[in-house]
Amino acid sequence: MSPLDLIRLALARLRSSRLRAALTMLGVIIGVGSVVALVAVGQGATKGITAQLEGLGTNLLTVNPGSSTSFGTRGAAGSATTLTIDDATALAAIPGVAAVAPELTTQKLVIAGKENTTTSIVGTSAQYGTVHNQTIWQGSFLTQPVTDLGLRVAVLGATTASDLGLGADAVGTDISIGGIPFRVIGILQSKGGSGPLNQDDQIIVPLEAVKSNFVSGDSVRSIGVSVATADQMDLVKAEITTGLKSRHGLGAADAADFTVFDQAQLLTTVNSITGLLTVLLAGIASISLIVGGIGIMNIMLVSVRERTREIGIRKAIGAKSRDILFQFLIEALVLSVLGGFIGILVGLGATAAIGAIAGWGFVFSPATLVVALLFSLAVGVIFGVWPARQAARLDPIAALRYE
Amino acid sequence: MTAPLITLDRISRVYQTGRFEVRALDGLDLTVERGEFLAIVGPSGSGKSTLMNIVGCLDRPTAGRYVLDGTAVEELDDDGLADVRSRSIGFVFQSYNLLPRTSALDNVAMALAYQGVGHKERIARATASLERLGLGDRVDHEPTELSGGQQQRVAIARALVTEPALILADEPTGNLDTASGDDVMGILRELHATGRTIVLITHDADVAARADRQVHVRDGRLVA
Ligand SMILES: Nc1ncnc2c1ncn2[C@@H]1O[C@H](COP(=O)(O)OP(=O)(O)OP(=O)(O)O)[C@@H](O)[C@H]1O
Ligand SMILES: [Mg+2]
Repeated sequence: MSPLDLIRLALARLRSSRLRAALTMLGVIIGVGSVVALVAVGQGATKGITAQLEGLGTNLLTVNPGSSTSFGTRGAAGSATTLTIDDATALAAIPGVAAVAPELTTQKLVIAGKENTTTSIVGTSAQYGTVHNQTIWQGSFLTQPVTDLGLRVAVLGATTASDLGLGADAVGTDISIGGIPFRVIGILQSKGGSGPLNQDDQIIVPLEAVKSNFVSGDSVRSIGVSVATADQMDLVKAEITTGLKSRHGLGAADAADFTVFDQAQLLTTVNSITGLLTVLLAGIASISLIVGGIGIMNIMLVSVRERTREIGIRKAIGAKSRDILFQFLIEALVLSVLGGFIGILVGLGATAAIGAIAGWGFVFSPATLVVALLFSLAVGVIFGVWPARQAARLDPIAALRYE
Repeated sequence: MTAPLITLDRISRVYQTGRFEVRALDGLDLTVERGEFLAIVGPSGSGKSTLMNIVGCLDRPTAGRYVLDGTAVEELDDDGLADVRSRSIGFVFQSYNLLPRTSALDNVAMALAYQGVGHKERIARATASLERLGLGDRVDHEPTELSGGQQQRVAIARALVTEPALILADEPTGNLDTASGDDVMGILRELHATGRTIVLITHDADVAARADRQVHVRDGRLVA
C-alpha cells in the first residue's frame, strides 16, 4: 500500500471512532499546546523585561557610591556618600559620554489641592531626560538655566500626576513638596514600567533645589551616564573608573569607593535567567507531551488487540508484516501529528490571550512551532512503533482464529 | 501435459504443545491439476484446516515439499509467502472474514491494494468483481448490512478480484442455510466452468459431491 493509501485508511479509521481519537489526541494537544504557550510566555516575558530595561536609558552606565565586588553585595552601594556633584561634572568631560545626570533622591509628601501622595523627589540636571529616555508629555523639561539657578520647579511622572489629580492644565500651577511650594513646568510621558523599574511615579526637580531644601551636603546618590554609542560602553566604563579613582585620591591598585554599573550586564543576566526559565517551563510541558504519547501507545495496544482478526484477514489476503507495521504506525502518527497541529493552535490562542493580559503582545517564534510539530511526530513514532510491531508480528493463523 | 498447479510431497505438520506432539499431517501426498475442482473431505480433527493453511501458504510444513504454480513454497520467507498469497491464492472462509465497518467495495479493493494496484484501478476492478457476483447494488454496504449469503459472495468477489491461480475455500457453506449454501456452490461451479482451480474443504458429503473429485483425509493422511 502506498503511504497515501495508509493515511487515507488511518483517517477513515479515526473518523469511525471520533470520540476515542479525540480523547487520545487530547494528551498531545495539551502537551504541545502548553509547550508552545509556555515558550511564548518565556519569550514574551523576556521581551517585556528587556523593553523595560532599555526604557531606563540607552547605553546607560550608573555610578553608585560605595564599593561592591559582586552583584550580591550591591545593596550596600548607594548608602555611602563618596560621590559628589563635582564628580558628575568631571565625568561629562570624558570622551564618549553623551550626557550626565547626577541624582539626589528623597521621599517627600506631595500635596496638590486636596490630593496628596508620597513619592520620590529626584534632584538632577537638565540632561536627566536624555540619560533616562524620558519624553515630555506636557510643558517642558528641566533646562540648564533652571537647574543652574536651582529654581523650585517640578516635572511630574505620569503616575504621580494622575495620583495628584493633575492633568495638562496643571502646568504652571503650584504644588507643595515637603511643605515647600514648587511650580509644575511639565508632565512626563508614561513609560509603563512596573515595580522597581517604574519611572512614572517620581517628581524631577533641579538638584540644587533638593540640596537647598531637603538634603544638605555635596554628595549625590548616583550618577547616570549615557554613552554615545554601544561599542564605547566598555571604554567609557574604564575611563570613568580611572578618572573617579584619581579624583578620589586612590591608586590604580586600590579598591574603588564607587561602583560603575552597566545596564547591558543586567540585561544579559536577566536574559539568561528568563532563558533558563523558558527552558524549565518547556521541560515541564514536555512531560505532558510524553504522557500524551503514552496515551497513544495505550490506545494503539488496545486497538491491535481489538483488531487482531482484521490483521489476520489482511495478512491472509497478502499483507506483508511491513504493510501492517506501517498501517498502525501511520495511525499513531496521524493521531500525534493531528494532535500536534491542534495543540499548536490552542497554544497560539493561549499565547495571544496571555500576551494581551500581560501587555507584551503576541510573541511567538516560528521555530517553536516547527520544533513542536517535530516533537509530536517523534512522539508518534516512539510510542507508535511498539504497538505497530506487535501487530506486524502476529501469526496470521492465530490472528484469524482470534475471537 | 502442463505441470500440476499443486504438488504436495510427503507433507508433515507437527504441532509441539508443551509435552505433547500432535502429528496433524503425516506424510501426505497430493497433486491438484490446473482447472480442477477438488473437495478435501474428512472428519473433525483429521487435519483438513492444517492442510488448508499449508496449501494457502499461511503455514509451513514441518517436513516435505510443496510446489505451487512452479514455486517451491517451503523455501520462501514470510514476505515471499505473503506475495504468493496475494498473487496466487484467493481465500473463502467459513466465517466470511470481511473487515467490519468497511464497505463491500473497500473489502474487495483491499486485496488489490497489497499488490500495489493504484486507487482508481482498484475501485474499478472491485466494482466489476462485485457486479459479477450480483452485488452491484450493494457496493457501499458494510458487512452488518448484508445477509450471510451476501457476505460470502463479497468474500468470493474479494478472492476473485486478484485473478488468483487457486481459489481455496474452507467450509464456505458452513455458516449458511441450505439455499444460500446452494447459491455459493453454484457460484463456485460457475467459476470452475470458466477454468478456475478450486480446492474446497468440507466435512459435508452433499457439498463435496458437487466437486469433480474428492479426496478423504484421516489422521493426517489421504485415504482411498
Ligand atoms: N495450533 C495448534 N496447536 C496444536 N495442535 C493443533 C493446532 N492446530 C491443530 N492442532 C491439532 O491438529 C489436528 C488437526 O487439526 P485441524 O484443525 O487441521 O482439523 P480439521 O480437520 O480442520 O478439523 P475440523 O473439521 O474440526 O475443523 C487436531 O488434532 C488438532 O488438535
Ligand atoms: Mg477445520
